[in-house]
Amino acid sequence: MLKRSIVLMVILTACGGAIAAGPDDLGGREDLPEISSEEFEAHLAGIDRPTVVNVWASWCLPCRAEAPLLNTASSQYGDEIEFIGVDVQDNQKGAKKFLAEFGLDFDHFFDRNREIPNFYGGIGTPITFFFGPNGELVNTHNGILDERTLALNIDELLSLSS
Amino acid sequence: MEFTLLWAALTGVAFAWAGTKLWSERLPDHPTDRIIGAAAAGLAVGRLVAMMTQVINPLLHPLDILLVRGGVHSGAATVGAVVAYLWASKWTIEFLDATAPAALFGLAGWHAGCLWRGACLGTASDLPWARAEPGSLISRHPVELYAAVGLATAAWLVSRMPWRLLTRAGAALGLAGIIRLLTEPLRPSLTGGPVGWYIAAIAVGGLAIWLGPRLASQRITAPT
Repeated sequence: MLKRSIVLMVILTACGGAIAAGPDDLGGREDLPEISSEEFEAHLAGIDRPTVVNVWASWCLPCRAEAPLLNTASSQYGDEIEFIGVDVQDNQKGAKKFLAEFGLDFDHFFDRNREIPNFYGGIGTPITFFFGPNGELVNTHNGILDERTLALNIDELLSLSS
Repeated sequence: MEFTLLWAALTGVAFAWAGTKLWSERLPDHPTDRIIGAAAAGLAVGRLVAMMTQVINPLLHPLDILLVRGGVHSGAATVGAVVAYLWASKWTIEFLDATAPAALFGLAGWHAGCLWRGACLGTASDLPWARAEPGSLISRHPVELYAAVGLATAAWLVSRMPWRLLTRAGAALGLAGIIRLLTEPLRPSLTGGPVGWYIAAIAVGGLAIWLGPRLASQRITAPT
């Protein structure tokens, strides 16, 4: 009985640590700029290198799992590939808290009504769109990204621009 | 874990079950129950650890433990599965030797599950058997199939090894680590892969092969 109580306490403490670790500091961020699907399409058309567009939301648990991967990818390939985040069906406070927590250091847009993923035909959240130079859609990944999928698609994008 | 990955996991369990039929010699009673139970326990532990590393509280999101959408920590899952298996076997370490070939075969099945997921391809290659992703012109190594063939071969080799305490289990762990380590450079990766875990598996496998016969001789000579 004592053993079971100790195991239960260890588990609860570990889980409690997971709550306590969330930051309250929003890092003094400004609200994310709102954008329509037409404006977003025009924005992508003006980018002369491949682009990875990740659709996320602060309430989306799988988005938390893939955020560190996107951070790694943007720091490794940020010179060759543009990374953009699109926060959907969210509120600005939640969005800023999410960004402060994961430090996703690339441009993000706010899409309250989910126009952008609907425009490009993505399903659910998260979604990652892979665009060639000037906004040509190359691939869509619905659901959580794993390292292999992201690395392979980046490899494919780099071959387009070389 | 996406549902396609769940298919890969189920393929792995099915292969492990097939392994228990192929190498039934000296297997404990009801090995399938233990293997499936250990796999489920390993997935649960791996999922809980993954949630905690992603700062998701399992107490606030209990359904997310079952609806595995955010990944499983493979190292924690492996440790959890082995501990659960030993616990179900009443800490009889000989059972690790008995099921080592079936476990390797199951791991081979997990890798072959890439065929269901459409996730077999790795880095670019000009070899004749290299294949391209749909819509792509770049042919690539079918790296997960290399791993599957390597692990299935290792399962067969381990099944032919002599019965000595921890020898088969150690060889299986070491070979799994070596095969993953050799195939890792062929996987598309951002981080280089969990190479540390593979090296640890090889080291622990080697230690088990060295330690097993000594433990066995101590058991024989120890006063009762």
